[in-house]
Amino acid sequence: MFEAIVQSTSIPVLEQVVRFSQARHTVLAGNLANLHTPGYRVRDISVEDFQTRLREAIEARRTSSAAPPRGAGSTAGLAENSPGLTENWPALTGILPETGKHAIPEKPGVPLAEVARQSQSIVYHDDSNIAAEQQITEMVKNQLQHNMAVALLASQFRLLQTAISERV
Amino acid sequence: MFSAIDISTSALVAQRIRMTAISGNLANLSTTHNEAGELAPYQKRHVVFETDESIGRGGAAGVRVASILVDDSPPRLKWDPGHPDAIREGPNAGYVAYPAIDMMTEFTDALAVARAYEANLGAIEVAKDLVQQTLRILI
Repeated sequence: MFEAIVQSTSIPVLEQVVRFSQARHTVLAGNLANLHTPGYRVRDISVEDFQTRLREAIEARRTSSAAPPRGAGSTAGLAENSPGLTENWPALTGILPETGKHAIPEKPGVPLAEVARQSQSIVYHDDSNIAAEQQITEMVKNQLQHNMAVALLASQFRLLQTAISERV
Repeated sequence: MFSAIDISTSALVAQRIRMTAISGNLANLSTTHNEAGELAPYQKRHVVFETDESIGRGGAAGVRVASILVDDSPPRLKWDPGHPDAIREGPNAGYVAYPAIDMMTEFTDALAVARAYEANLGAIEVAKDLVQQTLRILI
């Protein structure tokens, strides 16, 4: 029953965001660790791919929750309407492009995207293409995204707590 | 999450080994004898890194020292016929063979090591923050 309540909130979504950003931090830390490794190519987990799949999973959950009619006072519908997120996670961890070519998506009409793409392809004299500044920026952005998700997660749990205790 | 800290630590260790090699190169800037006492100028050490896939999971990689190469470039010759280690005969007679070490190169390498070390320390701080923030959910 409690699982059904949790599944009806944004907690599963936020959980995936937290897991994703922790996994991505590990990859970015690996990039920084190999700052002086000859021949090392930047690695990344595609944020775009993750967001696309997360959106698909959320939409799948929404459509399936809209389908079964919910009886008054029954939570049965809630329990069954959470197919997407946790099942989709194994697929999400698979997004690991071996080079940095997905790090900045090529989108026409996005200002600075072309500049960023070109600066990504610069290979230094030791055959490595890592730019420390870029990696640190990505790491900080990832950290902020993670902390935002955690803060939202904590507030979701606080709301549940308030509802359970019936006290503000 | 802890593998991120392990990865950054592997970089700290590797960079410190590189720093040790640089210190050794600078310390032996004027060494003309080897450890056996024979007349042979010190040869510069290069530390080479390689990725260490065994540390991280899911595509992330750490770093380790692949090898320490000995520089076999010809020694720097300095005219000093009165020196006890001066070359006695041949075309270079009267010269002293000093290690082929450029002090400026060593210092810039040392700076690069220091910056990389700091960057990895920063990455560890971020990893710690991620864990601490996650624990905040409990409160």
